Amino acid sequence: MALRTEELMLNMGPQHPSTHGVLRLVVTLDGENVMDVQPDIGYLHSSVEKMMEHRTYVQNVALVDRGMDYLIALNNEQAYCLAVEQLAGIVTPERARYIRVIFDELNRIASHLVWLGTWAIDLGATTVFLWCFREREMILDLFEKVTGGRLHHVYYRLGGVYADLPEGWVEECGAFLDYFLTRVDEYETLLTKNPIFLARTKGVGTISRADAIAMGASGPVARASGVAYDVRKAAPYEVYDRMEFNVPVLTDGDCYARYLVRLTEMRESVRILRQALLNLPGGEIRARVPMTMKAPRGEIYVHTESPRGDLGIYLVSDGGETPYRVKIRAPSFSNLYALTEMMKGWKIADVIAILGSIDIVLSDVDR
Amino acid sequence: MDVSNRFHGLLALPIDPETGKDLCIICFQCERICPDRCIHIEAEGKGKERVLTRFDIEMDKCCYCGYCVEVCPTEAIVFVPHYEASTYNRDQLLYNLDDLHRAAPKEPIARGIIGGRVP
Ligand code: SF4
Ligand code: SF4
Repeated sequence: MALRTEELMLNMGPQHPSTHGVLRLVVTLDGENVMDVQPDIGYLHSSVEKMMEHRTYVQNVALVDRGMDYLIALNNEQAYCLAVEQLAGIVTPERARYIRVIFDELNRIASHLVWLGTWAIDLGATTVFLWCFREREMILDLFEKVTGGRLHHVYYRLGGVYADLPEGWVEECGAFLDYFLTRVDEYETLLTKNPIFLARTKGVGTISRADAIAMGASGPVARASGVAYDVRKAAPYEVYDRMEFNVPVLTDGDCYARYLVRLTEMRESVRILRQALLNLPGGEIRARVPMTMKAPRGEIYVHTESPRGDLGIYLVSDGGETPYRVKIRAPSFSNLYALTEMMKGWKIADVIAILGSIDIVLSDVDR
Repeated sequence: MDVSNRFHGLLALPIDPETGKDLCIICFQCERICPDRCIHIEAEGKGKERVLTRFDIEMDKCCYCGYCVEVCPTEAIVFVPHYEASTYNRDQLLYNLDDLHRAAPKEPIARGIIGGRVP
């Protein structure tokens, strides 16, 4: 007698510890096999785009750094400040642009460390988590000394940054970078050749180059699938055109490739940081921008490379003190939809590994 | 715990040690810049006689952005390193003038660190 089987629908989340925020995955299962995955979002909606219409251009800096992706506050501020500056024609002093690059890259490392630690703990490697957060703590201390904040800084201002680097900070940061490179090697000893890790990630959750492009994936997810695209190279902002660095591109498109891309990115960030610290010019850190600035009538789209991918801000101004409309192109949102493609055909146990590997932050998805 | 002297902790209104009065010149700039609109100031009198009758900060709404500290022309409002603000009751997070005076640090606070102040 044949046994009767049927497909099972499983709700993963929104209160699942591995969803990194509040995400619900509606997984259709045939036994252990994943037939389909539909992400259901909206649990963390903060309507930041609408709120920005009710705050002045200056006040909005405080909003983007926590209303969007909360792990990369400085990269959010970067994208927003760049958009307003280009719209209003504000010229940032040289020193401020270098300082911004330094903080963008430090925040990129900090964000990748959170990702590596939490993803490894999803896969059962607890030590990596502890080690990553140990180094991240040092970066947060470096942040605190300059910006006064650890996660939410409100450090960038329209036309520059808020305060200059304190004495000795550059040397301290340089010493941290030397130390950090040795630590990256240490993370590798735990994971890169670990057979359990390889079995769970190599060849798992693949997405082809064509699919990655079609789904609008960007950042490390796209680069692991062979898309050689990095906004820092394609449309350099601040002083990235003067920096020498490589963009890691792999073609496997699996979880392991995404891991290697991010790991290499951390090393490349250190390279950028070293150059920026070495060439840091003196002078002003802030252009004269009144606290009640008005942007001229018009619209602008600016995109930057955030740790998660292509972060764009579209801004419409009607000439007033507040933006008329803001649209945020969040990298996590597009990357989340590439997930559907990645998960089909894998086992239920791989869902967590694949979800962790795309590194999404839900407040960036919902906005 | 040691925090940096730029740390965004709680807010306070230090009293001028020379005159024993508030440093605040009641210009309302902090009230206007606050993105969360959590500062409420009222004043009475004219010219030199003008005194604060109300200076409330709703600490539960504050996002510790530091704009108020930045715009204040007399450094009358400052961050203190203290950060443990949790209470059992939301009412206790409404800091009035007395609370803000009491929160002010006894030692002189690091001043002039806002290098990028627009002159
Ligand atoms: S720190 Fe920011 S939110 Fe808090 S009172 Fe000052 S301006 Fe308002
Ligand atoms: S900005 Fe300073 S001086 Fe002006 S009202 Fe606020 S605390 Fe007082």
